[in-house]
Amino acid sequence: MNPNYQSYESITHAILGFAAYARAHELNVGIRETQEALSIAATGLIREQEFFRYALKSVFCNSEENAVLFDQLFADYWGAPKASVTSRITMKNQSNLQKQMQRSLVLLGKGENKDGQEEEGKNVSGANAAEQLRKTDFSKLSEIDSEYLEKLATNLWKQMSRRLKKKLKTSTTKGKIDIRQTIRNNIGSGGAMLELKLKLKKPTRNRLVILLDVSGSMDKYSFFLLRFILALRAHFQKIEAFIFSTKLIRITEFLKIKNLDHVLIQLSTHTDNWSSGTKIGDCLKSFNDDFCKRALQGRSMTIILSDGLDTGEPELLANELHKIKRRTRKLIWLNPLKGMDGYQPLARGMSAALPEIDVFRSAHSLDSILELENYLADV
Amino acid sequence: MTEIKSIQDSFDALGYVVDQELATILFLMTNLQKPLLLEGHPGVGKTEVANILAAHLGTELIRLQCYEGLDVHSAVYEWNYQKQLLSIKIQESNEKTDTEKEKHIFGKDFLMPRPLLKAISGKDKPPVLLIDEIDRADEEFEAFLLELLSAYQISIPEFGTIKATHPPYVILTSNRTRELSDALRRRCLYHWVNYPDFDKELKIVHKHLPDIDQKLSAQVVRTINVLRNKKLEKSPGISETLDWAMSLHALGKKKLDEESFTITQGSVLKSYSDMEKIKTEGVANILEQSNSN
Repeated sequence: MNPNYQSYESITHAILGFAAYARAHELNVGIRETQEALSIAATGLIREQEFFRYALKSVFCNSEENAVLFDQLFADYWGAPKASVTSRITMKNQSNLQKQMQRSLVLLGKGENKDGQEEEGKNVSGANAAEQLRKTDFSKLSEIDSEYLEKLATNLWKQMSRRLKKKLKTSTTKGKIDIRQTIRNNIGSGGAMLELKLKLKKPTRNRLVILLDVSGSMDKYSFFLLRFILALRAHFQKIEAFIFSTKLIRITEFLKIKNLDHVLIQLSTHTDNWSSGTKIGDCLKSFNDDFCKRALQGRSMTIILSDGLDTGEPELLANELHKIKRRTRKLIWLNPLKGMDGYQPLARGMSAALPEIDVFRSAHSLDSILELENYLADV
Repeated sequence: MTEIKSIQDSFDALGYVVDQELATILFLMTNLQKPLLLEGHPGVGKTEVANILAAHLGTELIRLQCYEGLDVHSAVYEWNYQKQLLSIKIQESNEKTDTEKEKHIFGKDFLMPRPLLKAISGKDKPPVLLIDEIDRADEEFEAFLLELLSAYQISIPEFGTIKATHPPYVILTSNRTRELSDALRRRCLYHWVNYPDFDKELKIVHKHLPDIDQKLSAQVVRTINVLRNKKLEKSPGISETLDWAMSLHALGKKKLDEESFTITQGSVLKSYSDMEKIKTEGVANILEQSNSN
């Protein structure tokens, strides 16, 4: 049974109760908001429910998205007959359980090896192990190696992001004269400009948009590629990340969490499109429709990580890619399959995409990903 | 609530149609002394709210247009360097010590206030401060604003702290080109400005063009609604509706048909690919859809 204003004896208590109720449902309501709710009631707005709802909404909601949730909570608590409650969060149904299991496994890097490629797995050891591992295709790793490789990868990517940072600092050139500082520093000499102070150009870190394919065919790679995305966080001012398979999900929020394990746990509980089919065109379309203007600005670079095995319409894919291309500075497509000997981009999706892409590279092993560094620094 | 009704009436008289929700929030904003954050698609009249609010309160509007790279010197204050230099030269021969000289050139006469400083040094009435398109400014600037918005004071190292005698009414607008920080959101009242519904939009058109043909205006508004559902690159806002109605009215059209659509489409469709899209779909089809609604 939901709490209700009738169970409190005074208006003040009822408002406090509502604040607690909203907080429990993950609206951002703190002490300040509660206080404001009380002062709103004091202005007399509480006498009319509609006005009271509008007023509380402006304080309790801080984005358009949680407005629906607020209306629902308000209606539940204050028993508003008029408030229209249209959308409800649907419960995941039973059949999704299977998918969830698979998703968690992929995130742990232990996804089902459907093609039975275990036999090919190379258990490398010895002095040269690290060197070899760096060149090994992610899909051909055995379990023991992948643990080792993960450690190796974390280190190398850390180094990479440190190098990238350094490049930014040393490449700044001297800028305009800073009159403000110059005058301050030359007051001692009576205003004669003996020593000029220069304004240095502020190093700007750039924006990056990443779209990661997490469909079934990418299972073996998505584990490492996701970690790669996390390693890039340090270098870019803003990373917008999305994962897609049959639908597109924005995961930027989760990347803000510092601890890698927590990121993975959050991801596995909040996303449900791992290891399903692929509709690249449709996903890019929903990216263009919903996020494009927010995510892509003049200086951003876009990376798509996908094997290009698409079941949707190739024309749609080419069309949507073209839209992205127009709004981005550089469009990079990383395809793990490109690392295979004799790979030709013949898959329908891939060949449709090729004309729009600025850089087309492989991303099947550690080394191939590290080579990307040059492109990233060049933004 | 009589206060809210009076806000609505006053805005109405000033030529802006405001719904109950926004009127309630404006009432709160003037009552609780909190900034108001307006988000919404471009061209739905966010900036206009500030203009009309200033007129409604009979006070000055101070506007700060944000852009990437906006810094404290162009937003808050700047010293008048030329004047300072001259003053140093003039004082070269007199007997004052260096400290006195320094004190002199960092005095009030040499300070050039920019919008934010102006807004908090209002003499007799609190002004309306409009911080337009805050999403375009850098995150650093956003962080700086936090201090201003909570304490309504600005500190200038050479001069001291200036505290607002009449805290301004602050309106921030954002087009959502980037996500604003939670800290900023929490300091503000929030309102999402949506495209208006049919009746409201029709009312707005009549407000601006009182002598327009009733049939024409209804047709324009319906067609605009159809276009908004087409997922165009640049969805038409209220300003486009008004522009369009105005152009058709100026051309003396009584009815929106294929011909008049084509010659005036420049006031609604703002990109080549949008025009192409509408062309392939057929202007006649779109007009038909709008009539069937």
